Amino acid sequence: MTMARNCIVVNLDRCTGCFGCEVACKMENDVALGQRWSKVFTVGPVGEYPDMTRYALPTMCQQCEDAPCVSVCPTGASYRDKDNVVLVNKEQCIGCKYCMMACPYGVRSWNADEGCVEKCTLCGQLTSQGKQPACVKSCAAGARFYGDLDDPESAVSKELAKYDEKDIHVLRDAGNKPATRYIMTDMIGTWYDRVEPRGGHQTAAYPVED
Amino acid sequence: MEIQWSLVLFTCLSGAGAWLLACAGLDAFRGLTRKATAPAVVAALVLIVVGGLASATHLTHVDRIMAVLAHPAPGIFLEALLLGIDVIVGVVFLALVKREGSEAARKALGAIAVVMAAVFSFSCGSSYMMASQLAWNTVALPLGYLGTAAATGTALWYLLCAALKEDGPALAFAAQETLVGGVAALVLALAFGFASGAAMGADALTFWVGVVLCGGVVPAGCGLMGMKKSESALQLAVVAVVGSLIGSVAFRVLMWLASVTLMNLFGATI
Ligand code: SF4
Ligand code: SF4
Repeated sequence: MTMARNCIVVNLDRCTGCFGCEVACKMENDVALGQRWSKVFTVGPVGEYPDMTRYALPTMCQQCEDAPCVSVCPTGASYRDKDNVVLVNKEQCIGCKYCMMACPYGVRSWNADEGCVEKCTLCGQLTSQGKQPACVKSCAAGARFYGDLDDPESAVSKELAKYDEKDIHVLRDAGNKPATRYIMTDMIGTWYDRVEPRGGHQTAAYPVED
Repeated sequence: MEIQWSLVLFTCLSGAGAWLLACAGLDAFRGLTRKATAPAVVAALVLIVVGGLASATHLTHVDRIMAVLAHPAPGIFLEALLLGIDVIVGVVFLALVKREGSEAARKALGAIAVVMAAVFSFSCGSSYMMASQLAWNTVALPLGYLGTAAATGTALWYLLCAALKEDGPALAFAAQETLVGGVAALVLALAFGFASGAAMGADALTFWVGVVLCGGVVPAGCGLMGMKKSESALQLAVVAVVGSLIGSVAFRVLMWLASVTLMNLFGATI
């Protein structure tokens, strides 16, 4: 097994919040109505005028290094493939939903027709043919990147190399070590590592006060 | 999160069964009862198995359940393994009781039954300790599972002893066990209530009335009274069983209601 850290990196300085990635994902992967593998939030507005923050936050499976979804799965249906990508083998899933409880971000969805769990696959069907994931390809703002964080020649590493450490963020880490990086400079405002959607299917999210 | 009734019933029934078996096992050391052991072991086995079947109704693909056996890990595999072991312990113990097997063997099985009750009921709760679940990620959760299961199991044993008209000393000891079970439920559930914030949260009423009062104070009080007078054992035992059952269900329901996730971005319900 190659110990790659394949993931999506999003440059929030560039993201316009157009929801194109969300739609491209649904089309490419035939995600059921009402379900998503990729979801864009609008975080904020939050803060005191004039220090206000409002930004788009595209979310999906964060490809955790210590993925709790994999460690709790009783059947091995949630697993890492030969490229270290966290995936679901739907034919082994018994529908216990432990992985949904264990994912710190709630980015797994439930396929009611098949009675099993699904999530972002990093479009392995495309990347295995040298193509880009649908969300990356469709991003009109050029804000999304796919690749291996450990390969300095990958698109993700090259984009991250342009920025200071302080402008590179991850969602709140509960020990699961998310791989996905978000680039956001103070041009946009303050980064919030824990956000909460206002309602189940709404796209507005607000920081959680701990 | 939505209440998962299959899982509530599973840990409630199987946990109670395991502790009922433990009480029967403990009696192998004391030798106080004359009739209660065999029916208690049978009832315990039924509870453990019915609880296990209830848990299977939570799954969408029971047909693939064998995959669990091929993938040893904490959680479902461990729970299924412990449940299976406890059933075997119960069956062997029952055979020894029926055939009047050696006292040493009965004591050994009895001791195993007590240990298994603690380990099994604790494990059922420890599966839910996850960093993503802020209110659940405390050892007070599995301890609460253990305590509430102990209260129900001991109260059931008390009820069986009373219904089968065991002697005064047997009833007094069963009442004492019910007191211990009730106090365990009370103390450990209180610990979870405060550690998780459920004691002060939106479901505080369920916690204080359902879990603390019905599940802890009532069986403990019945046990305490029963230790002093054995005439009203049956009434006390019935009240203790009803109270501890309500408490055990309420504790598990509360766990689902009081869940606080780190983030639930897609809003998918469990
Ligand atoms: S983000 Fe959730 S689904 Fe993705 S690897 Fe991490 S725990 Fe698993
Ligand atoms: S729902 Fe499926 S993928 Fe998730 S933990 Fe259970 S068996 Fe594994």
